[in-house]
Amino acid sequence: MYQAIRQPLPISLSLVSLATAAAIGLPLLLVCFMALTADPSVWSRLWNTRIPELLWNTGTLALGVSLGTFLLGVSLARLVTRYEFPGRTVWEWALVLPLAMPTYVLAYVYTYLLGTGGPVESIWRWVAGPEAQVFSPHSFAGATLVMTLDTFPFVYLLTRAALLNFNVSYEEVARACGASRADVWLRVTLPLLRPAIVAGLSLVILYVVSDFGAVSLLRYQTFTYAVYQQVTGRYDQTAGSVLSLLLVLFALIFLLAERWFRQRSRFYQTTGRYRVPARKTGGAFGSLLITGYLGLVLGASFGLPVVLLVQWTVSAAAEGTVDPRFVGFIWNSILLSGLAASAAVLLGTPLAYLASRWPSKLTILCLQAAYAGYVLPGPVGALALLVLFSHLAPFWYGTILVLIFAYIIHFLPAGLQTMEPALQQVTPNLEEAARSLGLTTLGTLRRVTLPLVRGGFVAAWVLIFLQCMKELPATLLLRPVGFDTLAVRVWLEASEEYFQLAAPAALLIVIMTLPALLLLVSKDWRAA
Amino acid sequence: MVLELRKVSCAYEKGRPAIADVSLSAREGEILCLLGPSGCGKTTTLRVIAGFEPVATGEVYLEGRLVSSPDLLTPTEARRVGMVFQEYALFPHLRVAENIAFGLRHLTADQRDAQVQTMIAMVGLTGLERRFPHELSGGQQQRVALARALAQKPVVLLLDEPFSNLDPDMTGRMREDLHNLLMHTKTTAVLVTHDHDEAFAMADRIAVLNNGRVEQFDTPEAIYHTPATPFVADFVGQADFIPGLVQNGKVVTEIGEFPNQAGFQGGTKVVVMIRPDDVHIAPQEQCSARILARQFRGSENLYTVGLPSGHVVHSSETSTSVYPVGTPVELQIIATHTVLFEQPESPRGSGGTLAFTPRRGHA
Repeated sequence: MYQAIRQPLPISLSLVSLATAAAIGLPLLLVCFMALTADPSVWSRLWNTRIPELLWNTGTLALGVSLGTFLLGVSLARLVTRYEFPGRTVWEWALVLPLAMPTYVLAYVYTYLLGTGGPVESIWRWVAGPEAQVFSPHSFAGATLVMTLDTFPFVYLLTRAALLNFNVSYEEVARACGASRADVWLRVTLPLLRPAIVAGLSLVILYVVSDFGAVSLLRYQTFTYAVYQQVTGRYDQTAGSVLSLLLVLFALIFLLAERWFRQRSRFYQTTGRYRVPARKTGGAFGSLLITGYLGLVLGASFGLPVVLLVQWTVSAAAEGTVDPRFVGFIWNSILLSGLAASAAVLLGTPLAYLASRWPSKLTILCLQAAYAGYVLPGPVGALALLVLFSHLAPFWYGTILVLIFAYIIHFLPAGLQTMEPALQQVTPNLEEAARSLGLTTLGTLRRVTLPLVRGGFVAAWVLIFLQCMKELPATLLLRPVGFDTLAVRVWLEASEEYFQLAAPAALLIVIMTLPALLLLVSKDWRAA
Repeated sequence: MVLELRKVSCAYEKGRPAIADVSLSAREGEILCLLGPSGCGKTTTLRVIAGFEPVATGEVYLEGRLVSSPDLLTPTEARRVGMVFQEYALFPHLRVAENIAFGLRHLTADQRDAQVQTMIAMVGLTGLERRFPHELSGGQQQRVALARALAQKPVVLLLDEPFSNLDPDMTGRMREDLHNLLMHTKTTAVLVTHDHDEAFAMADRIAVLNNGRVEQFDTPEAIYHTPATPFVADFVGQADFIPGLVQNGKVVTEIGEFPNQAGFQGGTKVVVMIRPDDVHIAPQEQCSARILARQFRGSENLYTVGLPSGHVVHSSETSTSVYPVGTPVELQIIATHTVLFEQPESPRGSGGTLAFTPRRGHA
């Protein structure tokens, strides 16, 4: 990068970012410290009772969901990039909609659908006889199904982008070498998509191992659920921290895998003349088959759940069973999320700014520390803050301050990812050009820097805000007494299987998440 | 004929230049060049031969077998064509030896290894078998792409601008190596290029394409010395067009008289194509032609000479003949053959293109 006259590193900004980084990195360090200094007896007790089961459950769930999302994601991506059928572009967009569905919402809808006496069982008995059984939602199969339907868009999006950027020459040269179409797909296309697919799967696994909402509603014992139970049921923070450490390691592996494969995929996209791959048309029957498949996947993952939520909401409203405190819950959610998003953007700015303008070991380390939240699943972060505040600042414990802190740790990374590129396009040259044209420092900031970064910052704020709106585990563990948010209400009602009561809040969360999703996707879309 | 295209046309689609009535053929072992500016349809023609593009009219034959017609499109994998792309398209997930072996699945493992070794030795890559494509230089990558295409003993080898991704000083050697390799293996090849030097150096015959049509299909010498159209004349080398009038069986121009070899009628307005190597200049005080500019090119000096009418001609002189700009010079035309084109009615075609009616004059 071209660097003209170097201004000295601003001390005040450095201190702010150093403090932020320390505050954000602290909980992770604390959890590690607690786990590593725990009494060996705690380790051996957990090793003999919980850990094997949790490892097995978390591992098999990750594996099952990977397999499911791989099949769904890759096949869908191939259909929309290599075939032509009516409404293709609409489907192409619609297939990301399941990402707007928080896992706990999908889990609660499927608790109803697959439950005893539920619609799936009725249909199945009508088809296969009165004694036929469907698998229970509270099982490995149920959890795998729900998580697969919720996360396949990650694989779909990355594979689709890779297929669109695919250098068709590879396929053509393979065919010139005498390979059939199936051969080309298996020997050339799939291997070249591997980095994109693995990156997608790593995201999926990261999501699965840190998910709390679905596994808790489906009562499927994984690490996150176990940490939550240790903290709430047994008040055993040491055991909780041991399990947390394992969970963090688990998540870290897949986060690093995702980063690594993303870089490789950049390297795999060798230069070349870009040619749009020819799309095949399958005729009326083929189109029908494709549309049927897409409809089934999207219906199961988004369409049907939304229809049910609307139905329940309408009937709840008609029966007047909507909680009178409902408006209060909305207000709580908005207040918390708004405060957290604003604070995160404010704290993130010096971090990203210093790292891009004065890149040094220290400033980059600060920025990296802020990304710690990625490997701190909700319950773990909550546990760390619980311990931290109860020891250091007990008078703040149980206020929304702790909760906002938890949100910042958790969602600042996502915000930073949007803010960093925005800040990077403001090069020193631009500001120097403004200064040479007679603008003051403040004028430069107002007329050059701010207009350039505004879009990225607003996007970051919206992203963090909406993530906070649907945050569940930290809110459950850290909220002040009686201070319920929409997400908490959905979870509480759904745990009791009050499907109708949970619906209005769930529907509201889904609707509010949609803009964030579009924001996220449209960025990826252009890049593809 | 190993390869024959009969009046092939391709429908226009976005991003793919159409071609119309393209007829070409290649004998066994012949090297054919498709030469033309970008967007002229030369790559489309190559892709038609490979079977990547269907034809709207006409036929393509490989070894006498019909492979493309409006009703037939033999898939690429059944054509046995070797393909070398501009960017080589080496499979990044496979090693050099695996890339070369890609099309040899029908052989036993032993045969395959033997064939791969033969190819590696032939293109001079011994020792690099275990490398991945990104660990190779541009020239080495091109050799792997060649070896991969030749390993399956293709009916015809198709090369799409194979030298455009190489350093200029590398290109000369690679051209020579490729030429030797093709001669040695008696491979029929079709090479696409926009560089006439490359086409002259490599080709047995050249097809010059413009706007999707073949303007001329001939030997490199004929293309250069007796271009069929002003476009060809201009595209394959420096050419000046001097207007003249047919009088008494001669073409009279301001730089002298030329034989009316094309047999134009008396009174016809024509232009004479002059190449710099046909023009010799000598300083001469009384002359009205003057040197406007000199470009030193190492092995020659290229002079731009202004005529009293405002037209210019170029002259190629030896490296040591240096005259200052402004020198009055006498022009000597030493052409063994004269190329004439009829002059258009309007002063010049629009958009800077040369709009002449093609007519050919032979020596």
